[in-house]
Amino acid sequence: MSGFDRREFLRWSLAGAAGLAASSPKLAFLQPVAVDNPLEWYPDRDWEKIYRDKFRYDSVFHFTCAPNDTHNCLLRAYVRNGVVVRTGPTYAFGKATDSYGNEATHRWEPRCCQKGLVLPRRFYGDRRVKQTMVRKGFRDWVRAGFPRDPETGKPPEKYFKNRGQDRWLKATHEEAYELTALALMNIAETYSGEKGAEYLRKQGYDPDSVAVMEGAGTQALKLRGGMPLLGLTRLLGLVRNANMMALLDDHIRKAGPEGSLGARHFDNYSWHTDLPPGHPMVTGQQTVDVDLSMAEKSRFITLWGMNWISTKMPDAHWLTEARQRGSKVTNITIEYQSTANKADDVIVIRPATDHALMLGVAHILMKEKKYDDGFVKSFTDLPCLVRTDTLQYLRASDIIRGYSPSPLRNYAAVVKAGEKPPVPMKQPTQYVSEEMRREWDDVVVWDARAGRPRAIGRDWVGGRFKDLGIDPALRGRYKVTAVDGSQVEVRPVFDILEEYASYFTPERVSEITWAPAEAVRALASDLARHKGSTFFAVGMGPNQFFNASLKDRGIFLLAALTNNIGRIGGSPGSYAGNYRVALYNGLPQYIAEDPFNVEKDPGKPANVKAYLRFESAHYFSHGDKPLRLGNKLFTGKTHMPTPTKFLWFANSNSIIGNAKWSYDLVVNTIPKLEAIVMHEWWWSMSCEYSDVVFAVDSWGEFKHPDLCGSVTNPFNQVFPRSPLKRIFDTVGDIDVFAGVAGSLSKLTGDRRFEDYWKFVYEDNVGAYLERIARASSTLKGFTFKEIEARALKGIPTMKNLRTYPKVVGWEQTNEDKPWYTKTGRLEFYREEPEFIEHGENIPVFREAIDATFHEPNVIVAGKTEALRPLSPGDYGLRADDLSTETRQVRNLVKTWEEIRGTRHPLTKDKSYRFLFITPKYRHAAHSMPIDVDMITVYYGPFGDLYRHDRRKPWIGESYVNMNPADARELGIEDGDYVWIDADPEDRPYRGWKKDDPDYKVARMMTRVKYYSAIPRGVLQMWHNMYQATHGSVRGHETNPSGLARNPETNYQSIFRYGGHQSCTRAWLGPTLMTDSLVRKGVFGQQIGKGFAADIHCPVGAPRESFVKVTKAEDGAVEGKGLWRPAALGFRAGYENEMMKKYLKGQYVD
Amino acid sequence: MPINRVYNWQIKRETAYPFEGARPDRQFAAVFDINKCIACQTCTMACKQTWTTGKGQEYMFWNNVESKPYGFYPLGWDVRLLEMLGPQRWEGDKYAGKTIFEAAPRGKAAQGYLPEEYDYAYPNIGEDEPMGEVGRGDYITIPHRIWHFYLARICNHCTYPACLAACPRKAIYKRQEDGIVLVDQKRCRGYRECVRACPYKRVFFNKVTGVSEKCIACYPKVEEGLQTQCITTCIGRIRLNGWISPPEKADPENPLDYLVHVRKAALPLFPQFGLEPNVYYIPPVHVNSAYLKQMFGPGVEHAVRQYRSASADDTLLGVLTLFGCAEQWIAKFKVSKGVASGYDAAGKAVVKVPIKEPVYVRPFYDEKLQVYRHNIT
Repeated sequence: MSGFDRREFLRWSLAGAAGLAASSPKLAFLQPVAVDNPLEWYPDRDWEKIYRDKFRYDSVFHFTCAPNDTHNCLLRAYVRNGVVVRTGPTYAFGKATDSYGNEATHRWEPRCCQKGLVLPRRFYGDRRVKQTMVRKGFRDWVRAGFPRDPETGKPPEKYFKNRGQDRWLKATHEEAYELTALALMNIAETYSGEKGAEYLRKQGYDPDSVAVMEGAGTQALKLRGGMPLLGLTRLLGLVRNANMMALLDDHIRKAGPEGSLGARHFDNYSWHTDLPPGHPMVTGQQTVDVDLSMAEKSRFITLWGMNWISTKMPDAHWLTEARQRGSKVTNITIEYQSTANKADDVIVIRPATDHALMLGVAHILMKEKKYDDGFVKSFTDLPCLVRTDTLQYLRASDIIRGYSPSPLRNYAAVVKAGEKPPVPMKQPTQYVSEEMRREWDDVVVWDARAGRPRAIGRDWVGGRFKDLGIDPALRGRYKVTAVDGSQVEVRPVFDILEEYASYFTPERVSEITWAPAEAVRALASDLARHKGSTFFAVGMGPNQFFNASLKDRGIFLLAALTNNIGRIGGSPGSYAGNYRVALYNGLPQYIAEDPFNVEKDPGKPANVKAYLRFESAHYFSHGDKPLRLGNKLFTGKTHMPTPTKFLWFANSNSIIGNAKWSYDLVVNTIPKLEAIVMHEWWWSMSCEYSDVVFAVDSWGEFKHPDLCGSVTNPFNQVFPRSPLKRIFDTVGDIDVFAGVAGSLSKLTGDRRFEDYWKFVYEDNVGAYLERIARASSTLKGFTFKEIEARALKGIPTMKNLRTYPKVVGWEQTNEDKPWYTKTGRLEFYREEPEFIEHGENIPVFREAIDATFHEPNVIVAGKTEALRPLSPGDYGLRADDLSTETRQVRNLVKTWEEIRGTRHPLTKDKSYRFLFITPKYRHAAHSMPIDVDMITVYYGPFGDLYRHDRRKPWIGESYVNMNPADARELGIEDGDYVWIDADPEDRPYRGWKKDDPDYKVARMMTRVKYYSAIPRGVLQMWHNMYQATHGSVRGHETNPSGLARNPETNYQSIFRYGGHQSCTRAWLGPTLMTDSLVRKGVFGQQIGKGFAADIHCPVGAPRESFVKVTKAEDGAVEGKGLWRPAALGFRAGYENEMMKKYLKGQYVD
Repeated sequence: MPINRVYNWQIKRETAYPFEGARPDRQFAAVFDINKCIACQTCTMACKQTWTTGKGQEYMFWNNVESKPYGFYPLGWDVRLLEMLGPQRWEGDKYAGKTIFEAAPRGKAAQGYLPEEYDYAYPNIGEDEPMGEVGRGDYITIPHRIWHFYLARICNHCTYPACLAACPRKAIYKRQEDGIVLVDQKRCRGYRECVRACPYKRVFFNKVTGVSEKCIACYPKVEEGLQTQCITTCIGRIRLNGWISPPEKADPENPLDYLVHVRKAALPLFPQFGLEPNVYYIPPVHVNSAYLKQMFGPGVEHAVRQYRSASADDTLLGVLTLFGCAEQWIAKFKVSKGVASGYDAAGKAVVKVPIKEPVYVRPFYDEKLQVYRHNIT
């Protein structure tokens, strides 16, 4: 019988039985099983509708998922019975166009990730901020009429000492608007004028900090939209809000539109230590990066501490597809991480020594003359002459009497005093003030053909320089005659750098970095073979160390030597954070609208006037003070912070909950704050320590549209208005700004507060976005309405940048335009006094400030004439003072041979022996959504949905990666709990004591994971965590389940005790606080100098510390014996016999 | 118990099986490119959120991604089965050892074991943990001396499913129209013989409902011409759904047939188990071949060579470029003038995509709009 015939026969013969079964389910159970061959045929398949029903949905809508992850995916939500049941990609990115009709390709599909797909669990989750909450003590203080100590102005301690342990009260949004407005008024008023300044000095604030307030109490108000690019109106609304506070100042001090000051706004990109601080030092531009889709144009891709596969997930395929297309990938890393399995070569180095490796490679390229001579001479300052006496550039006016600086005609123009450049969109050139142009003068090269110095105009870059026919010397020492007749010795920058780099021989580099010398040579030879087609992708790894700016200068040096800047396929790129608000350079229309002169016609442009000031949040995390040590204040005037008395932030867990040194903030700094107001939709650690938590809409519920963009992809991402009904009692972030402004209007009688948010009240937020669109060079050609209409269908649009893929610097290299520097060239030499003083006039390699086995922060150098830093004695400090604070300004120069025998000061206690670093990982973007059940359970090896072990803080938990040999030496087994302690001088917080209740909360306990992918002596823990709080510890110890969940707030910690930030602290780099560095401003083409938020300011060092590890408890359930998977022999280091065979592939032959 | 002989092309011989061989009209299949998998678990969450949000399903991941060699879900699943089977042998590309059906103990359909509940804890154990130890300073080149890779797993919708073979109630069947293997949720009584027999441990027992469940290959989507949830959410763009033909009927315009039969670049998982599984893996190019041969059979070296040749081969590169580009099933493909096109079964174009990304340079000054376009804004 053929299969077909028999199948047919069975079908017929069983039809009767099946019919009977369908009519009587009970009877069906009793039917004999009548399936002959289930490969062929099955009788009753009606049940299959179960899954068709489960899959069914009623409708879809689109929304943008935008944690701070640089992707921002427009997602599709599937709705059933009014509930979002799941989310997915839109598959419409390939339909995106720019306003010229250029199309993206379907290779951008699908865009989403696991964090976006668990969002329904978060929209409806039990840790949603379901209504606005107010801390009891704070409300009582406000209701009591803001009592204060008449001497110091301090509020009574009783209202604030309970922060983090207090009761929370439900409030209506309106009550909370009023509380916030009252606190704003009272605090600003208290700290205004001479009386306010006196209070602040008595409270112990730095007098320079108090002085820069200029008497305006509003300057003690600090606002921060969490990564503002993630919401142009929603989060940058806090910038606008800060500008509005000038009205409050006017109300208090009656200073009028001319004399009033707004609030301060904290930085973001630099606060997250995402800024590569050396980029502006070389290019004048905030950051050089490229769309990640460029990768396949690069024949050689080098990754520097960039775990692309884990941290750029929707764009990971650009790397693997480049490799499919034949590109070579070399991964420079401190471990064999996820990206290592996508690389051809993997070079494992000691943490924080990337720059030494770069210098070693640069040395080979220079010595063997494998650099691109033409690029080096025409686009960089490497041929420019430096005076050996002053260590500054030789200026044309030094040698030519009456020299006047060359006119600027190559995409640059001088702005006369009193003139203003046009708005960014209408700017064809760079703009430089007359004063700066005079200061810069012109640099000089040694014309080797003519045998004399030649002044080089700033315009003469690239082809324009080549056309002059000058062959500048790169090496040698020359004498020039100064205008005063004296002889001055000069050297090209190249010569100085080569002298310095020559110390970094492959063998010495190998000792410093641990990388085999063979790897250094291979990297140099690969680079030499890939001029113009090498991608230097730099990640957070090397970026988040104290000396990060130096490695940036090193990367640019390698890129410049190999003609890999500004090329499609050849470029550096720094990848950390999503930051560039300048992508929408019409933003001043919104964030800096003049509050004294509000334009009420939505069709007309706003009047722009900035009253707010910016400030680095690093001072706040540094005990709310600048860096003053010995006899010197190291913080530049342009950077000077003010005291922080009121903190208002949105969409961010990074300013308290995931802040560097967060327990120091909690114990020592925030008790001095008088109000902490935040917006959230998910209860984070930052909420735990706030006073007012506004319940705001989740990303799926936005009732007002918004816009964001990203630095790694070409798209504009709209948050279209959502049709989803609000799930809880929430409002939009922008409604909160308007609501508080409304209360301020009521309380002050000044309607202008409310008018400032007029379009919010009229439900016309789109009007603000249209203003931004009309004024932004990347959006012009689109209306916001048009791009929102596309987004409603799941289709993004492309930014109208100059190129796709975007390559920052493309115009400079391909159209011979100047960079945003003094010389117009890429500058590898820094002549400003701050740089010379700290030994960073050349890009030196320094040991890490904490994560090193050796003496910290020492400059490593052989004989280098051009290094003349000040010594500790010059600052009135002891040379042997290695305490954490003074270490920051300790500029000792030593040879490697002197350093390698030294030890980190903590090693006096032998148990201190580990570098501790906390990079990011795949399971969360910062801390979002780490505590969502299905994410936590996949977060490493300890996820257990049924929590067999009640010690577990949650259904998964934090862990530290440790080399098994290190663990064994300390008697620690895989899966054990341990304590991790950093420098007891100041961590987990200054002034801790063993029996302190705060210490119990702040000291880190975690589990050990045996991890043979990391070298001995290095410990690694992921940054993406919810740390222990006073409430979670109380929960862990009192909940019968043992859950580390705050019984008062439901906050869920992933640690039992402490957290990864128990080991970090705030660090302030002196060369990041200069008043002299020339750099482009945030928006448009204007060049300025000194502090600029997110461009030139401190970045801290969140990834480094030096620690000890102590065993706490066994890993098996309830703490007795070995963790089960290890005991069963399935873990590395514990392999049973079958595992051993399996690993060798011995089950087949 | 197995009494019939069925032909399994993956091991180039007949094997014992309880039922007569019967291939469906079309066979659901997929290719997973391990060289692109990033272990992001987006597929896992897509599947979880779509299918297993109910009571008793908490621990179930019909789709999961595990790091090899130390990742398992459930704990030690493949090691345990390989050990039960004992060392086996390939003779060239023909399997000379025992399949799980041939090694079945008396009274059972297949060799297998029932995991303990606790074995399903720690679903991401072994994540990123390598074979070998990194030194203080290391330089690792291909083949990597220290290695790991990611293995994404769903039900293989086998041609000869062990779950189906083992079910005492015959409540598991293979759909004739698409070869998808299902557990009848109404008829299953939870004997767990399928859980024991499936060597891939892709059937899960639900303690609350008392029945077993498994990956359904998203048939409600497949019936609409769409690829599965784990495939359409795969941001690593490692996956492609398709119909696989037996080798003698291979159609070079069918992307699955092209990759599996024509180029032999994609291989089945543990073919020696004898189930003729229908998820095909492009093996990782950086891993030593002894381990890979144990996992994917003797074709690994050839497959790696094929994959490495794609950069100079527009047809192969073209079909690989189509991964992830569309939600719809791609029944046929063509590559012409640097553009890869996918078509549905009716020959209608589903997607077109250039193999190399375009470059656009926009005008510096747009006179009409009076705006300057910069990359530095």
